[in-house]
Amino acid sequence: MKPIDADRKIILSHPTDNVATAKSEIQPETILFLPKGRKIEVREEIPFGHKVCLRTIPKGGPVIKYGERIGRAIRTIRPGELVHIHNVVGERGKSQSKNKG
Amino acid sequence: MNFLGYKRPDGKVGVRNHIAIIPSVVCASEVCIAIARKVKGTVAIPHPHGCAQLPFDAEQTARTLIGVGKNPNVAAVLVIGLGCEVVDPFLIASKIAESDKLVKSLIIQEVGGTLKTVKEGTRMARAMWSEASRFKRERVDLDSLILGVECGGSDACSGLSANPALGVASDLLIKEGGTVILSETTESIGAEHILAKRAINKKVKERILEIVRRTESRALNLGLDIGKANPAPGNIRGGITTLEEKSLGCILKGGSSRIMEVLEYAEAPAQKGLVLMDTPGHDAESVTGLIAGGAQIIAFTTGRGTPVGSPIAPVIKISTNSHLYSKMKDNIDIDAGEIITGDKTVQEVGEKIFREVLRVASGRLTKSEILGHREFAINRIGPSF
Repeated sequence: MKPIDADRKIILSHPTDNVATAKSEIQPETILFLPKGRKIEVREEIPFGHKVCLRTIPKGGPVIKYGERIGRAIRTIRPGELVHIHNVVGERGKSQSKNKG
Repeated sequence: MNFLGYKRPDGKVGVRNHIAIIPSVVCASEVCIAIARKVKGTVAIPHPHGCAQLPFDAEQTARTLIGVGKNPNVAAVLVIGLGCEVVDPFLIASKIAESDKLVKSLIIQEVGGTLKTVKEGTRMARAMWSEASRFKRERVDLDSLILGVECGGSDACSGLSANPALGVASDLLIKEGGTVILSETTESIGAEHILAKRAINKKVKERILEIVRRTESRALNLGLDIGKANPAPGNIRGGITTLEEKSLGCILKGGSSRIMEVLEYAEAPAQKGLVLMDTPGHDAESVTGLIAGGAQIIAFTTGRGTPVGSPIAPVIKISTNSHLYSKMKDNIDIDAGEIITGDKTVQEVGEKIFREVLRVASGRLTKSEILGHREFAINRIGPSF
């Protein structure tokens, strides 16, 4: 797998991903340049190695990294927001009682 | 391509020349340590198992100890038993001896206690070292090399830098006829469909899906989320959000080859090329399973930084990010963080890892060896009784 260098601040691991990984800490209001001339404004601090949302992910929608589903949004996540355990839940290795919703 | 290794009587090739002092049971561990302290070239492999274990669990402990003894990095073996344990020291010694290496055993209750066994064992180990020191490194082909790939203390960079680079190195070794063991079934959960697609045949495909299902249901049957243990708190602080994300990054270490077979924990591969071993995500347990399966070298990626080594195999540490490399240089052999900074490509770092594997195979010490890291943990699959 060859990472796609969309912007020198982030790494996009697959063209279909809706999140990208910060190559260093990214400050709010930073503009990120994406493939096909798109750009987004970062809304909050993204620590090194953490993920930033590139396209709106609706509540319950899939979070895509490596071109694969890594979890489900537990609320709508907007472009430029930090994507992590506060707004995403994994779907595997979960006991039944917690796999709802 | 070739490297300088120790040819063993069974045709296998070691990259190190250890004398292993193996206890069949926890009660013999201290005696092993005492012997190893006295004789150069020996390494004790203490562990807390070997008794009060149910048959399937005792069998796994025995298979692991036999595998460690059979590993070609080991020139000769001294097995120390207590005398009343579940895991039979004579069975371990005789199975290891099938590899035609020098194997001896002593039973503490028969010899007459700690002091007498240490004395007798020291005498035996000294004679073994004298024998083993006659092995000299010779030029051998890469098809005799088994590389175990491992990741521990992952961060969100693992799947973007060190793991795909290690995948390149895995592909290069397999192209030269070598073998790579990918493990950590827990960290295949959510990525098993990708591995299954690469299975060499339907049977291997079914086995891949089966070991992942078995691991996932083991936790679920306890009514627990694997998420309580994996991803670990440090993985999450490093930016990994879910188990699926960790898994998708983890499997990249194996490269892109076809998967030839699926091994039980500590089982030796019958095939060359890329093989899968069913181990837990616990690093030391996974590495122990890999070396018991015959891996002579471990390539180990880390994002948070871990010092874990092995008593008989060199462990090459590869950092996923340069912050870690500069912070824990004493422990890290190669920095793959240059991929994140854009200074190197995945391919370039992969080739660098491959070259380092060859150098280490020929005798270059890794940082984990120099620092004396000998972590060893056998995967338990049943409670004590």
